[in-house]
Amino acid sequence: MKGKLEPSERQKLIEEGKNLKEELLSLEEDLQQEAQCIPNITHPDVPIGGEECAITRKTVGSPCKFSFPVKDHLQLGKELDLFDFDAASEVSGSKFYYLKNEAVMLEMALVNWTLSQVIKNGFTPLTTPELVRSSVVEKCGFQPRGDNTQVYSIEGSDQCLIGTAEIPVGGIHMDSILSESSLPLKYVAFSHCFRTEAGAAGTATRGLYRVHQFSKVEMFILCRPDESDFYHEELIRIEEDLFSSLGLHYKTLDMASGDLGAPAYRKYDIEAWMPGLERFGEISSASNCTDYQSRRLGIRYRPSEPSGATPKKGKSNLAPPQFVHTLNATACAVPRMIVCLLENYQQENGCVIIPEPLRPFMGGLELIAPKSR
Amino acid sequence: MGLQCCLGGTALHTLKLAAIPSSSTSSSSSSSCRFVFGPLSRAFTSRFLSRHNRSQRPPFLLPLRALSVSAAPPTKTSPDEKVAKPQWKAAIDFKWITDNKDAVAANVRNRNSNANLELVLELYEKMLDLQKEVERLRKERNAVANKMKGKLEPSERQKLIEEGKNLKEELLSLEEDLQQEAQCIPNITHPDVPIGGEECAITRKTVGSPCKFSFPVKDHLQLGKELDLFDFDAASEVSGSKFYYLKNEAVMLEMALVNWTLSQVIKNGFTPLTTPELVRSSVVEKCGFQPRGDNTQVYSIEGSDQCLIGTAEIPVGGIHMDSILSESSLPLKYVAFSHCFRTEAGAAGTATRGLYRVHQFSKVEMFILCRPDESDFYHEELIRIEEDLFSSLGLHYKTLDMASGDLGAPAYRKYDIEAWMPGLERFGEISSASNCTDYQSRRLGIRYRPSEPSGATPKKGKSNLAPPQFVHTLNATACAVPRMIVCLLENYQQENGCVIIPEPLRPFMGGLELIAPKSR
Repeated sequence: MKGKLEPSERQKLIEEGKNLKEELLSLEEDLQQEAQCIPNITHPDVPIGGEECAITRKTVGSPCKFSFPVKDHLQLGKELDLFDFDAASEVSGSKFYYLKNEAVMLEMALVNWTLSQVIKNGFTPLTTPELVRSSVVEKCGFQPRGDNTQVYSIEGSDQCLIGTAEIPVGGIHMDSILSESSLPLKYVAFSHCFRTEAGAAGTATRGLYRVHQFSKVEMFILCRPDESDFYHEELIRIEEDLFSSLGLHYKTLDMASGDLGAPAYRKYDIEAWMPGLERFGEISSASNCTDYQSRRLGIRYRPSEPSGATPKKGKSNLAPPQFVHTLNATACAVPRMIVCLLENYQQENGCVIIPEPLRPFMGGLELIAPKSR
Repeated sequence: MGLQCCLGGTALHTLKLAAIPSSSTSSSSSSSCRFVFGPLSRAFTSRFLSRHNRSQRPPFLLPLRALSVSAAPPTKTSPDEKVAKPQWKAAIDFKWITDNKDAVAANVRNRNSNANLELVLELYEKMLDLQKEVERLRKERNAVANKMKGKLEPSERQKLIEEGKNLKEELLSLEEDLQQEAQCIPNITHPDVPIGGEECAITRKTVGSPCKFSFPVKDHLQLGKELDLFDFDAASEVSGSKFYYLKNEAVMLEMALVNWTLSQVIKNGFTPLTTPELVRSSVVEKCGFQPRGDNTQVYSIEGSDQCLIGTAEIPVGGIHMDSILSESSLPLKYVAFSHCFRTEAGAAGTATRGLYRVHQFSKVEMFILCRPDESDFYHEELIRIEEDLFSSLGLHYKTLDMASGDLGAPAYRKYDIEAWMPGLERFGEISSASNCTDYQSRRLGIRYRPSEPSGATPKKGKSNLAPPQFVHTLNATACAVPRMIVCLLENYQQENGCVIIPEPLRPFMGGLELIAPKSR
């Protein structure tokens, strides 16, 4: 009609276009909401089934034999004046604690030693914010606001407390395009972690085993897709080296499909023998999240190989950006390590021996002895 | 009218929040939260304005102190609306206040406190009268009951019961009001404390002198950028402004500072601790802070009565809450490492760049519980330990005896240490040591039983123990990591871009002697 459209006709078309766009927007939102629930794909070697289907990849050491009655970490802690759960219960609530005396030095030693060991593997050390925007928590695959959420939220704010340094580290390169030459990016982050542990109940919550606040050293890698399997193996190797150095008896599990959690393509857990609890307890977890987190956090890289074609005038010959793969792994979860060390290294005379690698980080201290009164 | 503590100099670790008691100025309650705009207390406003205009005084101190108006905001708009009453009682010595009211009044004035002493005295008198009334009524009822030998008219009896009940309710309400007002009264002041505002602080000691540089001095932000030590930009996206990542050697520096400080303080007989960083809000209040008010320094957890700590002073103070300690256990000396979280609400201006003012930081804090006659002694010990630490690190600093207007409600006396920060071209507060005498212990309920028996021969069945007394509490910053990092980077920078690591820290950094630019 060459511009001679009837006003009412034109209005009708504009209305129609607007309605369609609104409908589209709403649909896209619904689609996002539903699609975000779809878990990551699964590595072909992952066993299918529930937690009992996990495959033991490796076992190191064996349960130490005691010639005297074994105490659990709570009793050892009481006798050696290492923690106070009662005062913390009054001040803060259950599942909080003060560490005292040598336990403080042990925490510092564990963190310092772990950091130094991981740094040797080419990781960049970091400390991170422990308050983050809830959107970042969600992009990493966690659910801050739901019943029985693990996440503490701040009143009057969109901020949450982190449950793991994986979150603030994942957020560092949000909405970025990295150069291929900068990959892999390997970070080791020390932070405090906060978890509501809502819904957790039963005996598996005694003492330091399940707490609301703890120190953790976390490894995080961003890499090219074709390298993530390789770095997953590197992460588990680093963890195994750490725990072997401390003389722990442990097994590495290839977790089953029903136990992975939405972001993980594959997950290795390490469970260490805790003689006081008379069972294995999880002390670390290493996940390959492939592009699940990076698609949400918007982290891509630009492959450096130029495309084969001769560059045309004005046309870029850069390959299109691809999503990186992200991986995360626990290098040291302090309270569980303390449980392991106290229970495994207890002596008949009530002392606890400090593993050799930690002694230089504790001013040479070789054992924790009962205090004279 | 919440638990309002006086505005005073807020030390780095003693988050002293301003108080605007809405009872005294009826129109102020709704606007008391915005310290810039509301009809705030004269003292508070003048402090803020005078800081704004003053050029020579380090402006960075402004937000730290002028911060956080504490008045719990009424949810309704009525100016007479009362805010939530305290859920716990402070063991305040009302008789002592009444007997010494002139001295207390002078102290309230000197500290620019908004406590309403007149009202407290009035309420206390009323309470005493009411108590007498309740007692009189009880006696009367008993007398009547005896006379009638149980044959009291039901309506008579009911009337007396009603009267008694009403009186008791009135008494309870009065006690609550009294508590609320009385909790605002600041601690008494050490006689040697200079009277006046922050400019009246006395310099007790100066150590070292500003280092001379033969090249242009960089501030810690620039050094951090060049040496790849922090990331504020990524943190801003992930968390918001005033958050940061430490990277590379800065991480090792933080660990070294914490480890070295802990080991030094432990040598002085302190018990090391790590503490919960989430605590019940009542504990925060008992230490003298105000968690729930506009411009509060305190982060609260949604759906919970818990808050994030701004200093380990709070969880450590809480350890012996509602306890009676044996005299032989005193003094109790703790050194606690924790992360600290502060909203820094209301803080603005250039004194907030980089690591100088942040929402989250690591801190090593000293805390002592002792007998009243020993607190002056331990205050001196704490400041000596701090001075030894900072001298060992080669810092140029001065120790200040803070003035009465700058103390903050809990402190009887407060020493601040300010270190020279060449990149910022001024002194910046790196630590604070307060003697809170019995202010906190009366709120936290921490007492001790003196071990000397009373002179009298013990009678059969009668205890000869002396009655429990309130302990004195003290707290002092051993190491506030970000400000120490500012000091170390700026003071130890070299012309070639490196930063030298002070000797005491090197063993805690695997022997590293300097931080050098990374090769690319």
